[in-house]
Amino acid sequence: MKTPNKSRFLLAGLTASALLFAACGGGGSSSIIDSGSTEAPAAGDSSAPTAAPTTVATPLASLPPCDTTALDAVTETIDITFWHGMNGDLEDSLTALTDEYNASQTKVKVSLENQGGYEQTLDKYLQSSQDSRPEMVQAPEYAVQVMGDTDSNVPVGACLESAAYDTSDFLPKALNQYFTEGVQWSMPFNVSDPVLYYNKKVFEAAGLDPNKPPTNMAELRTMSQAIVDSGAAGYGLSLDTGADSGGGWFLEQWFAKLGELFSDNDNGRLAPSTKVNFDSQVGTDLLTDLQSLVNDGLAYNVGDNASGQDALLKLADPDKAAAMTIATSAALGTVLTTVQGGLIPGITTDDIGVGPMPAPGDADAPGAIVGGASLWIVNHDDPAKTAASWDFISFLISAESQSTWAAATGYVPVRSSALEVGAIAEKYKTDPRFKVAYDQLLQAADTPASLGAILGPQREIRALSARAIATVLQGGDVAAALADAATQANALLSAYIAANQ
Amino acid sequence: MALDTAPKGWRSFARYSMLTIVALFILFPVYTTVIAALKPGNKVLDNPLVPDAFTLDVLKDAWTQGRLGRYLMNTTVVALIITSVQLVTSIASAYAFSFLKFPMKRLIFGIFLSTMLVPLEVTLVVNRRTIDSLGWLNSFQGLTIPFVATAFGTFLLRQVFMQIPPDLREAAQMDGLGHWGFMKEVAIPLVRPTLGALGLFSFLSSWNQYLWPSLITTEDDMNTLQTGLRLLASSDLDKPNLIMAGTIIAAVPILIVLVVFQKQLVRGLTAGAVKG
Repeated sequence: MKTPNKSRFLLAGLTASALLFAACGGGGSSSIIDSGSTEAPAAGDSSAPTAAPTTVATPLASLPPCDTTALDAVTETIDITFWHGMNGDLEDSLTALTDEYNASQTKVKVSLENQGGYEQTLDKYLQSSQDSRPEMVQAPEYAVQVMGDTDSNVPVGACLESAAYDTSDFLPKALNQYFTEGVQWSMPFNVSDPVLYYNKKVFEAAGLDPNKPPTNMAELRTMSQAIVDSGAAGYGLSLDTGADSGGGWFLEQWFAKLGELFSDNDNGRLAPSTKVNFDSQVGTDLLTDLQSLVNDGLAYNVGDNASGQDALLKLADPDKAAAMTIATSAALGTVLTTVQGGLIPGITTDDIGVGPMPAPGDADAPGAIVGGASLWIVNHDDPAKTAASWDFISFLISAESQSTWAAATGYVPVRSSALEVGAIAEKYKTDPRFKVAYDQLLQAADTPASLGAILGPQREIRALSARAIATVLQGGDVAAALADAATQANALLSAYIAANQ
Repeated sequence: MALDTAPKGWRSFARYSMLTIVALFILFPVYTTVIAALKPGNKVLDNPLVPDAFTLDVLKDAWTQGRLGRYLMNTTVVALIITSVQLVTSIASAYAFSFLKFPMKRLIFGIFLSTMLVPLEVTLVVNRRTIDSLGWLNSFQGLTIPFVATAFGTFLLRQVFMQIPPDLREAAQMDGLGHWGFMKEVAIPLVRPTLGALGLFSFLSSWNQYLWPSLITTEDDMNTLQTGLRLLASSDLDKPNLIMAGTIIAAVPILIVLVVFQKQLVRGLTAGAVKG
């Protein structure tokens, strides 16, 4: 009866010093970052020798193999569990695709397990022992390095090689996002990038051209001024400071648009980054612009965007709505369904405009980096399971599946051949709003700067920049907030390198 | 001071006005939640404070779409197991600390109490690894075993056991009652109000657990109400009030428990407040 008690006080002794330390460190929000930074390396430690996070090529032969023919000899159905982070309409679409796959053949049966979101999926994956891990996992784009360093996966590159899979029609940006150290770690599945959502009715009422959304911050400022002055809407823009949107992801996007490196060593693609650049003049100018939008009453800051939808919902606020917001293209399907449901009185789906993400300052800089998530095969030393996972992946990335998926959600198809088949071919013709995100990805070169950064503690660094941006939008000093966040981010980078050496 | 010397009517007037104001502050979010949950999804943003459109559809959607029935069952099972086993372990250990003589009793009790200073978050990662290596992820064992013993319960019961006069123990011994007999026939009946309060506390806190279940469940069938609500929160943009409806459904059972056992809770609180 008392054994649990005993183990508890033993633990108490062990953790007493940790507790004291934590108490001195003090601060609820910082603990997220602390725990994050320790969990990533810890996960790497749990398995055998950890690959040094260099971009010195890791030979495929040194990684777990993938024999895609292993499925041929299989006679019984292989069960595959797939952990994902898709919710709401996105989950419905994923379920539909999975049902279609399960019904199409008898060798593999995929069970979807919703883990609640990207963060939860990643946390549970990193914390689990290899036996408790699923056969397949969806991990967000900011987790490439961390996932690779767990040494727990079969690189998709090995399957591509084994199946002699033709990737020539894939978007190079999508593949490159999940390619480091010479290895294609995972397969892009749901690719998104930020776009500008705006209310055309408000643009008309303010005397603006509803088919000409702002392409950069300078235009956005002028148009917002016109919107607010004319009383067409309460605010021009609704902004947020969430790590996966306005607080972190967009910041990386803006650096990429300008062709500026977000971190050193070619955005972590040449060697692990040791230093972030968001405290540079580029970052300061950008945030000063955003701050003045808020200070001048042209933009409204909805805060940390906890639901992921707060910035969008500000467009539907009956009291002082905003006319525009920047949000992921993956929300487009949901936004249109919602508007159709009558959330904003007097607004139909045709009144929702979609434009490219505005560039910083007065720059003419189209383009975007890949967001969303990719599919990882987990190594269970079972060739049949690996082959079964690959079989499901190859179904999900087929031109037909990508077409269905993109048309239902607003994600970008990972391959150009998807544009010629199925639902998306029709969609892109009849509703060009869906194509904005796709075009954006093709509009910038595939240089390290425009591909975006790959960082070990990327999620934690986004949390830091999000905190800095929140301070700035509430009127704090721009240079000081950024310098402070950059110092902490650099410390995380060196800690990650040390832990994974 | 000023209040104490004021006439009686004024005193209770001031007291009730204060209480009313505080109650309004506390009830306001509850009110807006109920109002929002009863509106159709697309009406939730207009007149957020006025109940102008009623429908039970959202509540129904939350129940079916959110699979709240299954989650409700899981939560109930987990809360009942934790509560009942906690009572047993607390009684046993508190009895030992009050009535038995063994070496280093004070030291051990001190160490015992010090575990109350360690929040769940500190032991989270280690505990999760342990549960994982036992193969208890996605199981009721995993959800309950880490919480079946509590230093708080031991402490609370020890304090009330200590109030039992030593004479009573001696008299019972004369009558031939051993430790088990004394515990069953005398000690437990005497501290029943405190047991009620402790049971209620355990039930409430295990009902509302979020962090631990969210970490050790990866299968939908093992979600509890609180982790299930998290899934509901991020579902649909066109039904922003789905989560409101979900929280109401999740709160109803616990409200009933509270109303029914309110007396025990208050009595237990005051019993614990008296110095032991």
